[in-house]
Amino acid sequence: MKYTRALLSLGVEIGLAVFASTQWASAQGVDLNKLLLPPADSWLNYHGGYSGQRHTGLTGITPENIGKLQQVWRFQTGQNQQIKSSPILVDGVLYITTPDNIWAVDARTAKELWHYQNPPNDAFHIGHRGAAVYKDTVYLTTPDCHLIALNAKDGTVKWNVVIADSKRGYWSTNAPLIVRNHVLVGVSGDFDNLPGQLKSVDADTGETQWIFYSTPPPGVAQPDSGGATGGQMWTTGTYDPDLNLVYVGTGNPTPVLNGAARPGNNPWTCSIVALNPDTGKQVWGFQASPHDTHDWDANEVPVLVDASFDGQPRKMLMQASRNGYFFVLDRTNGKSLLTAPFATVNWAKGIDPEGHPIPDPAKYPSKDGVLVAPNESGATNFRPPSFDPKTGLFIVSAQDGYGIYFFKPEHGAYGWAGADYAVAGKAFLRAIDYQTGRVVWNHPIGDGAGTAGVLTTETGLTFSGDVPGNVMALRSSDGTTLWHEAVGRMGNAPIMYVLDGRQYLIVGGGSSLYAFALPQGEVQP
Amino acid sequence: MRIAWISLVVLTVAAAVVGQEPGVQPAGRPAGQAKAAAKGQSPKNQAKTAPRDPTQSPASQPVPRTVTPQVYPIEQIQAGAPRFVAQCGFCHGRDAAGGETGPDLTRSDLVAQDQRGDKIGPFLRTGRPERGMPAFNLSAMDLGAIVAFIHDQKTKSEALGGGRRSVDAADLATGDIAAGRRYFNGAGRCAGCHSPTADLAGIATRYRGLALLQRMLYPGRRQTPPKVTLSLSSGQTVTAPLASEDEFTLVILDPSGSRLTYEKSAVTYKIDDPMSAHFDQLGKYTDVDMHNVFAYLDTLK
Repeated sequence: MKYTRALLSLGVEIGLAVFASTQWASAQGVDLNKLLLPPADSWLNYHGGYSGQRHTGLTGITPENIGKLQQVWRFQTGQNQQIKSSPILVDGVLYITTPDNIWAVDARTAKELWHYQNPPNDAFHIGHRGAAVYKDTVYLTTPDCHLIALNAKDGTVKWNVVIADSKRGYWSTNAPLIVRNHVLVGVSGDFDNLPGQLKSVDADTGETQWIFYSTPPPGVAQPDSGGATGGQMWTTGTYDPDLNLVYVGTGNPTPVLNGAARPGNNPWTCSIVALNPDTGKQVWGFQASPHDTHDWDANEVPVLVDASFDGQPRKMLMQASRNGYFFVLDRTNGKSLLTAPFATVNWAKGIDPEGHPIPDPAKYPSKDGVLVAPNESGATNFRPPSFDPKTGLFIVSAQDGYGIYFFKPEHGAYGWAGADYAVAGKAFLRAIDYQTGRVVWNHPIGDGAGTAGVLTTETGLTFSGDVPGNVMALRSSDGTTLWHEAVGRMGNAPIMYVLDGRQYLIVGGGSSLYAFALPQGEVQP
Repeated sequence: MRIAWISLVVLTVAAAVVGQEPGVQPAGRPAGQAKAAAKGQSPKNQAKTAPRDPTQSPASQPVPRTVTPQVYPIEQIQAGAPRFVAQCGFCHGRDAAGGETGPDLTRSDLVAQDQRGDKIGPFLRTGRPERGMPAFNLSAMDLGAIVAFIHDQKTKSEALGGGRRSVDAADLATGDIAAGRRYFNGAGRCAGCHSPTADLAGIATRYRGLALLQRMLYPGRRQTPPKVTLSLSSGQTVTAPLASEDEFTLVILDPSGSRLTYEKSAVTYKIDDPMSAHFDQLGKYTDVDMHNVFAYLDTLK
């Protein structure tokens, strides 16, 4: 396959280490080499690799045998909170989180090994995306904006630092990104006018190394920003080791719906930024939504792909953004290669020569209301997509939806500063040809918006979940359903790994985590 | 730099109920009663306990007054604030006046009718998961504190007026009635299914302001469920309201109200969903059309 060879050079594909040797490599603590080339018996960060492709090289589960997939175990958190996190697997132990909670679970038995609980606090408990691991330490962010380093073996606290002031309205759902000894942590904060910040913390000591601000911190004049705050970086970024660049999506500006209070494009909100992980210095930025007035952050996973574009080998970055546009960038310099809508959109007048959608002022929130597509929850959102190098398809949980947006001066210029109501939406798994932006297949998954992320396999399977609560496997080439199982509504993306020679699919349904595998004795990868 | 435009085929699946206000909110209070309440007088006919139409949005209506005034110790309210913020604040706002997706609880009919948690408590235990409202398993102490905080916020909100996510009926009155009537009978093809003298007679009395606009745009499956016609292997044909479906199963309501589940692969079926025309229309309205049709419907009192 023409893309596969290029991808090998990126060296971050899950399970590739397995093919390099006939022995199953074991994680035994996590170091940079393992993060660069994750062993098959591991899932080492939020994405399962630095590229964000969520594509596994494991070949044991195929379109031919998927019908035999069966549940092996179920782990119940015993809490109300839906599991929205991607588990981490290291040395046969799964680390799974909900707000204020992390469990270490034996991946062979689903027995709890330890459970750490952050003290009760009054920050938002809307969700949590997962933990991170490095060496023998597990890193957990908390709603009240602490970063806690825990001993992987027993869950005891090594150190606990504050990453932002939750009393001012920050909270964190973030699964940290680890690059060498940098633990990159982001926060959220849409209900207050707060500068967007991403912090790098020393993996050993918890000391702050640098802070990147997407909008000016207090006391710093930056006329370009137009007075905007916001631009929070709450999703886990991706990393290119060759370029030594971290890519992170930034959130919407605040005040959220009152654009008049913050004239101009409001950089670097609703953007993809490339940062040097050693210094925090911004190398380039690309704004997906200049002057956003609809809460369409560009926090969606910036997926890194090495492949050909228009016949030329390219180092690319792809994002299906909440605003309904699919972007392909040259990730060496942030220049646009392609901008195309992947869902129903009616808010832009066109695309400028640099690939940015041009917002139509007629669709800014108004006193009598404007009908806008997408709605506030977006054409996609937190749920991670997957890139399948074999078919060249970018597969994303998408929504075609409409909302009505209101703003009048009485709504003010602080926090939300306006009113909006979703009207209707339809949810789909949607496969995009990255070279043209064309939608190759479109699989309905229910009303409203989906909440499950996507995983693709080298054997041509796409795993995700629908709105009513099924986990399902589709054929990646055409979107045909090949398998499903009712698990409750999935709030996370599937992960996949091998343990004791058996390939596992792990998904969250409601507040339970499920493991599926082929029957024992079935031919395995 | 290449720009690609695609046209997406919107597949028709059963229509969504997304975006409607949860059905715990007030229907319209006759204006006279609202005025009387605002002056501190009791409405003459005890309408305060009358059931309200659950489809009404609270955002463009007078705030429903608390039916049974309640006083809570300041300590309990203070204990409730952080609990409310942590568990409820993202969707309903730190001040309970509306957040990222959830409605303003200070305008909620259920809150207005609640007395010391007798309505809020059972509601929280079951939630409304199909609309994104999870169930909460709270201790009696936590529940009591959260209830105290919500009632305190409601009391403050009643004193202040307004509402962070407020959309007043007057804000929406920018359309042209005659143009709206023309669109209704012409380009909008509304008259194919609706009549101002039949199903829409009095619609503007039953729904006002934002509630009328929301219902006009997308009444929702709950109001007008799809009809499914099933051909069974016995040769029998059944037509019934669709209760729910996913890719693999259909659930229909039989005449007794029981739910019957069918594997889609085992039956031949056809779904007639009135909401699909509403959804398609969302892609056709200009904002001017939308406001004009709203202005016309607003005359159907």
